[in-house]
Amino acid sequence: MELFDILTPLFFILIVVGTVIGIIFGAIPGMTATMAVAVCLPLTYSLGLENGLALLLGLYVGGISGGLVPAILINIPGTPSSLTTTFDGYPMTLRGEGENALKIGIVSSLVGGLISLAILYFFAPTLADFAIKFSYVEKFLIIFFALTVMAALSSNMLVGIFSGILGIFISLIGTYDISDGGNGEYRLLFDFMVPYLDSGFSLLPVLIGIFGLSAILIEAEHGMPAGQGLSGVKLPKGKPFKFSVFRGQSVNLCRSSLIGTFVGILPGVGGSAASILSYSQEKHFSKNPEEFGKGAPSGVIASESANNGLTGGALVPLLSLGIPGDSTTAILIGAFTLQGIQVGPLFIGNNPVTWDVIIIAMLAANIVMFLIMMFAIRHLVKVVSVPKHVLFPVILMMCVVGAYTINYGIMFDVWTLLIFGVFGYLAHKIRLEIAPFIIGFILGPSAEIYFVKSLESFGTLSIFFTKSWIAGVLWLLIIMSIAFSIALSRRNKGHGQA
Amino acid sequence: MTGFFKTLAAAASFAALVATPTLSSAQELPGNVRLVIGSTSTGGDTYQNSAIVAEALAEHLDINIKVDAVGVSEAFKALNRDSRGSTIMIFHDQSYLGHLYGVRGYDDIFETYKVGPTVAINPGNAYLVAKNGPFQSMEDIIAAASAGQRIRVAIQPGGVSEIGFSALKNAVRIAHPGAEENIVAVNTGSQADKNQVLFDGQAEVINGSVQANEQFTRLPQDDQKAMRFVWLTAAKETIAQANPEGLGDTPRDEMLAYVTPNVSVTMDGAEDFVFDKEFFFLYNKDMDPAIVEQIDTALAEIFAAGKIQETQKASFFIPDFKPSAEAATYLKAKRDDYRQIIDAISAQ
Repeated sequence: MELFDILTPLFFILIVVGTVIGIIFGAIPGMTATMAVAVCLPLTYSLGLENGLALLLGLYVGGISGGLVPAILINIPGTPSSLTTTFDGYPMTLRGEGENALKIGIVSSLVGGLISLAILYFFAPTLADFAIKFSYVEKFLIIFFALTVMAALSSNMLVGIFSGILGIFISLIGTYDISDGGNGEYRLLFDFMVPYLDSGFSLLPVLIGIFGLSAILIEAEHGMPAGQGLSGVKLPKGKPFKFSVFRGQSVNLCRSSLIGTFVGILPGVGGSAASILSYSQEKHFSKNPEEFGKGAPSGVIASESANNGLTGGALVPLLSLGIPGDSTTAILIGAFTLQGIQVGPLFIGNNPVTWDVIIIAMLAANIVMFLIMMFAIRHLVKVVSVPKHVLFPVILMMCVVGAYTINYGIMFDVWTLLIFGVFGYLAHKIRLEIAPFIIGFILGPSAEIYFVKSLESFGTLSIFFTKSWIAGVLWLLIIMSIAFSIALSRRNKGHGQA
Repeated sequence: MTGFFKTLAAAASFAALVATPTLSSAQELPGNVRLVIGSTSTGGDTYQNSAIVAEALAEHLDINIKVDAVGVSEAFKALNRDSRGSTIMIFHDQSYLGHLYGVRGYDDIFETYKVGPTVAINPGNAYLVAKNGPFQSMEDIIAAASAGQRIRVAIQPGGVSEIGFSALKNAVRIAHPGAEENIVAVNTGSQADKNQVLFDGQAEVINGSVQANEQFTRLPQDDQKAMRFVWLTAAKETIAQANPEGLGDTPRDEMLAYVTPNVSVTMDGAEDFVFDKEFFFLYNKDMDPAIVEQIDTALAEIFAAGKIQETQKASFFIPDFKPSAEAATYLKAKRDDYRQIIDAISAQ
């Protein structure tokens, strides 16, 4: 079938429908792009491959992008990869700049998506060859590099590192799963916990518990005067959005988009690592690192351009090696297998029309995402003026529904939400550092697997230093990141004493 | 009060009357059925096969069936909770191999659940080597191991991926007792991980599948990613049922070159080992036998109509319908065969 026969009005309608549904899924705490794609996957039977891909790629781009809305407006990351968007997006909302932050995030998402798409289109096979040079060793070092961010994101470095290690520790509770190459044994579990925790704590319920429920508990403790909105500010007070906010941000935009794309290319590293790495790199290179975490627009730009940069990157190994780059593309591969299409190293050459369809669908989905979200902002942003006594029960309900559905109806996930909601509340009281805790929780399982597998494969710790030139470069980045964190901590202490 | 009790009695009678058809319909599948699978992947063969069967069954019985890729642990939990027939499961040989290998979370399915009908075979379970590596065939690999060379085989432990590895080890043991120690497992997770250890030179052989690896076998020899099939574990008769065009650019006749008797991995010195990865239903132990019968009958009619076979074959599945009772007997015998191999190498 010729390309122009496929590009029918239905094809583009499906992209719009997919993107809208994706944005809604992304914007609801606990619902993710992965879930949106999974729910709509069976539809590809009746739609056929090309129209099915239009719907699913719209869902993918919309779902990743929609995560910025709750991250910025209510401090709950809609998807794990929008975790770092909360760091500066929500403080901007508290200053009355929610609309501004959303627009910055949306433009960054568009740029990230388009840069990664261009890279996908022009360099996919070459990059796939580069990606296979990353063995367990190099992947562990990338995760380790991302973990060094914990120190930079902490107001108290020692407490931050402790919180991060606690996060790693809790993430390892459960079975060392054989599907990850583990031995199938339980870790860190008492017998009575096995029926509930054999698969460990799920990420999304932990995330929305710590960010969503704990915030509600803290607010509840303070009391909620009737009629008071979320941030206690009036919308028009914030600065109006101007594209000039991107002046001087081109390096940040490109670097973050490239980091997102690059992390997407590496199967198994995960989207959260992309935004964490981009955010930390921007903080390292910034002239004003102390502004990060307090509402720096460049923090939102780094986070959002990286997580949308991931979308094109994650398709590189999928379409060049038949290996999904992230959890959503792992579902997306089902669209091909359900249609009996093989994805592998010969896919692009054997299916040039399908390849073009994917690129066009991704391009259209990014543009549609941009237009819809820009249009919807003026309505979305009103959420901050909804009285807390109305908004919080709604958020709580969405969190519970999201937690229950994330693994297709497991009640323990709702308990996880509640447990970590209370944990987040207590952590706030005793001043544990939440960001490093979550980063440790997200990256801990990958760090464990790649570390153990490296040792199983090579049998010596020295392999982490001698494996390849890539390992050498990664060590250099790790050392620079640690040195920067120490320098920043000392500078902050100095300012504190002054 | 008397009036109240009269009203109550009338209400109870009415409720009983209304409940009567409900009770009788409880012997059938409910209108909404959740079909859980033992895999979390929607891109894998379990989901693909289950989606085909679920669609046909739902259409035939005029009910809704939703396939949920919840994974082994959650699927077994969901099945244990529900004896009404609103949750049923499809999985494959992993469900009893996991138990044979002693993997946590795997009970004896023949004791804990009801085994339902088989529906399909995935004939694609394969073993591959690097195209530019020293091995051309399983014969080379067995000879090298027998001669004392360490052969690392990348597998996912505790199931379908391991059974071929166990068979290889057993074959080397039979050929050269003691040399089986040279066949070493490299435990990996996903197919991506298995491919990667081959690219890195960290394994000489990997477990894979025709579906996932066929394109890699068509790459030129100087490509780091190029692979070569050395063994398909399926029976010759199984592959012979595939469409002549095979999968991708590998026709059925070429695939037959990688199965017994062209490739010999002996099970006991006389017979070659074969493994057909079969998909079948599992039910809650207490599910009404009438529902088991209903599904058996419906599937028999669906397979008799012949349309599902075309869909299955187009997706490189081999149609394989056996009603529940026959399936349970057959799978038990199959389990016993593999137990012998595992016991033989465990005893060393």
